[in-house]
Amino acid sequence: MNLEKVIFGFFVVLACTLNFGFFIGDMTRHELHHPGELFAAVVVNLIALVLKFGDRTQMGAIHLGTSLAACLQLVTAAVLWRWVSGGSDEPVPVSTLATVVSLSGGALVANGVSVVLLIGETLRQSR
Amino acid sequence: MGDILFLVLRRLRAPLIALILIYAISIAGLVAIPGVDAQGQPWRMSYFHAFYIISYTATTIGFGEIPFPFTDAQRIWITAVIYVSVTGWAYALGTVFNLSRDPAFRAAAARSLFVQRVRRLREPYCVVCGYGRSGREVTEALDRLGVRVVLLEVDPQRVALVEVQPFSRLPIVLVADARRPESLRDAGIAKPECRAVIALTDDDETNQIIAIGARVLDPVTRVMARISDARIQDSLAEFGGVQVIDPIHRFAQVLQASMISPIAVQVEQTLSAAPGSPRPTSSSLPRGHWVLAGDARFIQPALKAVLATGQTASASPGEVGEDDLRRAGLDRAVGLVAAASSDADNVGMVSMARRIRPELAVVIRQNKAFNQPLIDTARADRVFRQSAVITPEVLSSLTTPLLARFLDLVRDLPAEEVQRIAALIESVSGDRSPWIWTCELDPAGATLKMLQGEAKSGLRLSELQCDPREPTRSLPMAPLAVLRASDGPGGTDQPGRVAGAHERAAAGGVASESALALRLAPLGRLIRAPLQVRARTGLTALGRTGTLSDEGLPAAQTMRWLPSLDLELAPGDQVLFAGAQDLQFLQRRVLTDPTVIEHLRSGAEPPRSAVFRWWAGRPRH
Repeated sequence: MNLEKVIFGFFVVLACTLNFGFFIGDMTRHELHHPGELFAAVVVNLIALVLKFGDRTQMGAIHLGTSLAACLQLVTAAVLWRWVSGGSDEPVPVSTLATVVSLSGGALVANGVSVVLLIGETLRQSR
Repeated sequence: MGDILFLVLRRLRAPLIALILIYAISIAGLVAIPGVDAQGQPWRMSYFHAFYIISYTATTIGFGEIPFPFTDAQRIWITAVIYVSVTGWAYALGTVFNLSRDPAFRAAAARSLFVQRVRRLREPYCVVCGYGRSGREVTEALDRLGVRVVLLEVDPQRVALVEVQPFSRLPIVLVADARRPESLRDAGIAKPECRAVIALTDDDETNQIIAIGARVLDPVTRVMARISDARIQDSLAEFGGVQVIDPIHRFAQVLQASMISPIAVQVEQTLSAAPGSPRPTSSSLPRGHWVLAGDARFIQPALKAVLATGQTASASPGEVGEDDLRRAGLDRAVGLVAAASSDADNVGMVSMARRIRPELAVVIRQNKAFNQPLIDTARADRVFRQSAVITPEVLSSLTTPLLARFLDLVRDLPAEEVQRIAALIESVSGDRSPWIWTCELDPAGATLKMLQGEAKSGLRLSELQCDPREPTRSLPMAPLAVLRASDGPGGTDQPGRVAGAHERAAAGGVASESALALRLAPLGRLIRAPLQVRARTGLTALGRTGTLSDEGLPAAQTMRWLPSLDLELAPGDQVLFAGAQDLQFLQRRVLTDPTVIEHLRSGAEPPRSAVFRWWAGRPRH
């Protein structure tokens, strides 16, 4: 067992699952999309991004690309949420919430690709 | 297409003018003749109406009398118009049909279509001149490799055969004399996509003219020509840049090698055969007195070759009867070469000779592919077909030029070295012919740098053989030879070294490998199909024009056969590998993934990203 692979796999999969957890549910209902979950998804995605820096293999380059895409969308979603709510506890307008959730949906696709890459790479090399 | 339209219009000038006149007179008449409307009032037809009526009348459609029933005067005019205009149309259409069946027109149309299709080609292709037996085999082989073929053949009947062959993509064919420069130009030899011009007609002089024409039209495109005439070979060598394929000389070479070193013949045949085909058995031809009979063009070089091995031989050119064979010493002969240009003659000669000496070894020449059953009855020790020599030679110099050079080398090696090579090949491919590929390291050294990382020691040959899935395991592939641009450090312990190809070519033999062949190496440019793409690692493919500059010519190339696995590779090295086909792809992964070599050297999976490297306490690189 390789500790690097454990940590790497953990963060890549966790990034995807947290993202999914935030995304799932009706886009217009506030009670289904908790800001804390989005925060966690952003943090874990950023960690996964950093873990992918400096990999010289081709697979590593694509890994990094998917993470960049996911982070870009999640950070945009978080910033948008904060911008519209202005720091108050009032729920943001439904249209804003829908945008935030759909952005996280886009990030989910990128995270999905990342997980697929991880699985494919693992299956390909038996070492 | 423009010239075709022009030709059509020129040929149709008379019928078109006739039609216009007929229409004009008819319309004018209809407009001039007064008619009456529904109320019986005088009414004159407009030009538009007249044209409409004449149009449907002249083309025999006949809608009737529109808009009002005609008067008698109008009917008389219309009657006349019908006969004249229908005749006019018949004349025009007849001319068109005649034109379309006119051989000159059809040739022009075919050429125009051909030129267009060639111009639209955006993929690598080869121009093959001559669709005889070897032309067909080369075309088929190129088709199997996924390379488009543009074909020039002078005989329409042979061209018709192309249509019924099961090509995966039909060659673009033109019935044309390839000796004419415009045929070669139309075949697109000057296009950058054109990889080679291969002259394979039956006639040496024709091939010479094609080769020279191709060289003159485009000095960059590679030219191969099948030429057996020594005089023409000399003049072409003088001209330069043409790769000569000489099946007759090759036949003599094989004959000679079969007597001295049958293992070399076996190695050559194993490596030239299609991958996966059963390995040819090595059978030596007996030493002693040989009788060579048949076509003088054929047996003269063979005679020289046999005599060069220190044996006796006598030739009997031309028509051969029993007396001729006896006079040539058949009674004491150990072998017979039957090389007449008729298969029936050859088989007859063999059975005649066998009656006299049943234990005779027989080498027979096969002229026609369909005579295979006939040739089989002769139960010859060797069958020689020209196309069987030409096709592998053309293909290997197009796809793996390194293999062609390696085979040249093998012919000169001592038997025990060849034995080692044969054993190595057998160890990776058993009793089948192996897949051959060239692993080329980019001259700039980017690949090596990436693979070595910070490590001091260079990439070793053995490391190219590791399994990317399990780096400590070594894949069953055999490095047959390493070609190095200049003699770098790290390989001086190698016994197997020969001088550059130029010196060897100058030392003797046909100019089987021109300088051009050395310069136009990259296979990746020739063939797109993934199977054949070399394990190229850099993107430093030589530019098309750059390859011809004399500065780019590798001055001192050295080839090592059976390189030591500890050999340190240098930038620009080319390694010839034999093994299973999928191993080439695994090797490519080794060359593109830096972690494989790292894993192999450290014995553990290397940390891949910066964070994990820092974590592992390794120096960053």
